[in-house]
Amino acid sequence: MNTGVFNIPFKAMLTLSWRNLWRNYRRTLIMLAAISMAVWAMIFMTAIMRGMVDDMLHQGVANLPGHIQIHHPGFRDDPSVVNSIDAPGGELLAALNDSQTKSWTSRIKVPAVISSERDTRGISLLGVEPESENRITGIAEQVVEGRFLEGDDDRGVVIGLKLAERLETRLGKRVVIMSQDPDNNIADRGFRIVGLYKARLEALEEVNVYAARGTLQKLLKIGDQVSEIAIIDKDFRDIESLYAKIKAATPDNLEIRAWYELDSYLSSMLNVMDGFVLIWIIIIFLALSFGLVNTLMMAVFERRREIGLIQALGMRPGMIVYQILLESLLLLLIGLSIGNALALATVLPLESGLDISSVAEGLAMIGAGSVLYPNLRLDDMILANVVVIMLGTLTSILPAWHAARLDPVQAINST
Amino acid sequence: MSNIALRLAWRNLWRYPRRTWLTVGAMIFSNSLLVFSISLQFGSYEMMINNTLQAFTGHIQVQREGYLDDPKMRYVLPDITAMADRLRSSLDSNQIAARAAGFALVSSNDRSYGLQILGVEPEFEPFVSTIPGLIKQGRYLDKDSDEEIVIGSVLARNLKVKLGDEVTFLGSGRDDSFAAGVARVVGIFETGSADLDRSMAQVSLAYFQDAFTMGGSGHSITLRAATIDEVPMLKQRVKTLIAGRDKLVVLDWEVLQPGLKQAIQADMTSAWFMYGVLIILVAFSVLNTQLMSVLERTREFGTMMALGLKPSNLARLVMTETFMMASLGLAIGVFIGYLITAYLSVVGFSYPGMEEMADKFNLPDRMYPNVSLLSLTLGPGIVAIGCLLAAIYPALRLYLLLPIEAMRAV
Amino acid sequence: MSAIHCMQLCKTFKQGDETITGLDHVDISIEVGEFVCLSGPSGSGKTTLLNAIGGLDTHDSVEIHMGNIRIDQLDKGSLADMRLHNIGFVFQAYNLIPVLSAQENVEFVMQMQGIVAHERARHAREILKEVGLEGMEDRRPAQLSGGQQQRVAVARAIVSQPQLVLADEPTANLDSVTASHLMNLFSRLNQHHHITFIIATHDKRVMGYAKRLIKMRDGKIIGDEKQTPVAIEDVADSSG
Ligand SMILES: Nc1ncnc2c1ncn2[C@@H]1O[C@H](COP(=O)(O)OP(=O)(O)O)[C@@H](O)[C@H]1O
Ligand SMILES: [Mg+2]
Repeated sequence: MNTGVFNIPFKAMLTLSWRNLWRNYRRTLIMLAAISMAVWAMIFMTAIMRGMVDDMLHQGVANLPGHIQIHHPGFRDDPSVVNSIDAPGGELLAALNDSQTKSWTSRIKVPAVISSERDTRGISLLGVEPESENRITGIAEQVVEGRFLEGDDDRGVVIGLKLAERLETRLGKRVVIMSQDPDNNIADRGFRIVGLYKARLEALEEVNVYAARGTLQKLLKIGDQVSEIAIIDKDFRDIESLYAKIKAATPDNLEIRAWYELDSYLSSMLNVMDGFVLIWIIIIFLALSFGLVNTLMMAVFERRREIGLIQALGMRPGMIVYQILLESLLLLLIGLSIGNALALATVLPLESGLDISSVAEGLAMIGAGSVLYPNLRLDDMILANVVVIMLGTLTSILPAWHAARLDPVQAINST
Repeated sequence: MSNIALRLAWRNLWRYPRRTWLTVGAMIFSNSLLVFSISLQFGSYEMMINNTLQAFTGHIQVQREGYLDDPKMRYVLPDITAMADRLRSSLDSNQIAARAAGFALVSSNDRSYGLQILGVEPEFEPFVSTIPGLIKQGRYLDKDSDEEIVIGSVLARNLKVKLGDEVTFLGSGRDDSFAAGVARVVGIFETGSADLDRSMAQVSLAYFQDAFTMGGSGHSITLRAATIDEVPMLKQRVKTLIAGRDKLVVLDWEVLQPGLKQAIQADMTSAWFMYGVLIILVAFSVLNTQLMSVLERTREFGTMMALGLKPSNLARLVMTETFMMASLGLAIGVFIGYLITAYLSVVGFSYPGMEEMADKFNLPDRMYPNVSLLSLTLGPGIVAIGCLLAAIYPALRLYLLLPIEAMRAV
Repeated sequence: MSAIHCMQLCKTFKQGDETITGLDHVDISIEVGEFVCLSGPSGSGKTTLLNAIGGLDTHDSVEIHMGNIRIDQLDKGSLADMRLHNIGFVFQAYNLIPVLSAQENVEFVMQMQGIVAHERARHAREILKEVGLEGMEDRRPAQLSGGQQQRVAVARAIVSQPQLVLADEPTANLDSVTASHLMNLFSRLNQHHHITFIIATHDKRVMGYAKRLIKMRDGKIIGDEKQTPVAIEDVADSSG
């Protein structure tokens, strides 16, 4: 058998496949539309979901707040002033001040009761060192009326807008805050409201009340003790080395926890999301694969006479498989390019934020804000492309193999 | 089948069985997935709603106007017990209970916490809330409960109190007077929701009214309907019953728990986006198949037109073929989807990370999809409609056919 | 109403910049019950004329009357109805619907005409018997020979008692024996049912069956004469 004639160079093969692809341009166009749309949906939906989960994580981590926290071992179960810890010193302080730590702060966090002239509420009272607290939470930027605390012994409080509304009070008014000292004596004190802040999650506005750390230490009679030390790293997803280092420097009688241990919902969301992205991409691919196989099968069927002919002329079945696969690959590549371009064109303009406040309270329930920032990740895009190319080619083997198995005599004589 | 047109359509489908099966296969795949997914969605929404509402909120509450947004002591329903009694007899239902709520600083010997104290009717509260049934230690309040309190397990731990210990509460009464009391812990409940277990304490309504100088008034009457579907009807009846009473509003769960409804909506939106993509992909498959099948039959259609068939006859033929294909995909898809879903609705299923999510949404740790007629047919129905829509273009092309040219076509 | 009058029938085809004349001012009158052969070399305009009479194609500057109806002024839908009810077509290629059996092919047209099921079945059997296909009702086209297929096409064309049957080269794909069977069938139908036949052909033997022979060339009628048809072999032929 003279196979030399059919040792077609790749370029010629490519041309052949390309032309074949456009012989039935309607079918090819429909299939391209399907592939593009599938690829777009894979990437777009993934970017939206990633954006949502990212937002939940940021919010969640911001609500904690701190990527790593150090507490009294009893504090998380019983967040009382009794479970306070000494201000960091020695080895721990050195580790905290190390250049690798982006920022850290220590704060007091105790349950308290706040009363205005009109009403009384339960709150979470935070005693913070304004400057370092702001570096971690950006709370100063959330102040919409008045100012944030200044210095460690500021005598004012900053409360949320919502809480002010509930208490029927306003900026400049006095409120009484009541808590207890470690000896279970009522510790209360009047504060002037020096600032009102607006949080992304309304629920926080009702709960978190900020006072200066030094002022509270005096009120609660706890010397220089604090409730927690909060540390943030550059990226909360990558805190292991910092975590290990600080853990080594933390005295054994303290409890150190990373955010994913503090809030298992958040960390599980991350994993669920990875699984979800993969499942989503595969489901869409499967829905697409039926059409892909169908298209190639039709192409093979239409050309069965000429496939039979070139087989009769001595083209090896391998070459036929190769040609059909190449055709499928071309189809997939064009579809992918359009799909990726569409995804970029639709996601990028949305990256400045998609307002979905119509379901804000529902999103608050899952811990996300009311503005969605799609997050187009390179690895997700690569995953989608790889799945489509790999599985797409794999799926095309079926029709290609079918073409190669055509009986030349029967194929030529068929109508 | 005595109808030859139907026979023709059916046989046309099987000219190229492989092509038809691939197209139907796409439908079957999507349909079974949709049945499963929609059943799961409905199942979890129902559970979310039930678990959230049954715990405490109820389906409907009667409140003073404005109380929901700004729960002030002074926004009261006067003579609340009498009113609740009247509602109970008019509606012939036990699932109605009056409540009052006030803020107080609750202290044990060691600790103090600011929280919401609730005055409830001990005889009726169990009919509107699951909390009375979740007492883990001691007992729930009873009709004569005076100076008795039940609290959540986390609160008990934080206050460091046991059954029989006394706690004091300090707050302000309805007229801004000083409200105080000492009550004995008779029951500790555990709902599984750390939030509820940390922040709730209940006393009897009578005791509450006494301590908080409420007189005969309270803040809300909570009602529960037999099923969630009956809520609008019940709401309407309650509305008529309290008509004429000034400044009272009847609120349903969608208003009481806006987050719940919106979380469901947000979830629905993203789910339907995904379903939409699946459905469009199936529609593309159908478009491709039917367009090809119309194009390759151009000659045949030309002859049929020469015989006196109108384009509309031919278009109907193509639509009938599509309808048959869609029905096949629907039947098999629903069947497979049903099998999978019915199986999972008995054994349940879970995935890694679900436990944490379930906690957040008051869901059990295993999911049980909810098979219903709607969940079985909704998705596949839309797929079928999408397929028919997709076939419109190939069918419309038939109107462009000229018999002579068509018969010349290869 | 099956008298046909065409006046000044013209048809041109555009092919690129070129204009091809299909029919060049044809005048023709055909009366009820005639058996007409259109003859002429390939490309002379026979098919174009048949299509014009059958309302299958659009034409330029024409008047075609069928009885007192102006065919050229009917819309597409009415033309289709007219074809469905009044005209039977037989084409060169058999043009049967491949997925329907012989009987179903015949019945399909009747169903479209709105004839009830039991009537259809009975009638289709009768017609198929008449064209000599008794016992083959349930075969698909692929299981029939060329002549048999053409007879199914004839059965389909005449089943609803049209006034007019237009046949375009009906014997082109048939061997001579089968062809003569078919022509005998046509003649018989013409005599017994008074169906008007217009048959385009360039087959000499076919022309022999005609009562009137019209010759065409270059889109014009160049001859039109009555003739005595050859004797019909009145045999119920089931071969072919
Ligand atoms: N669709 C068409 N496009 C262009 N020319 C056509 C078309 N149909 C017929 N013709 C031309 O019209 C003339 C008459 O053709 P036709 O009626 O088919 O002849 P006949 O049937 O006698 O062989 C021929 O010259 C033919 O080439
Ligand atoms: Mg011709």
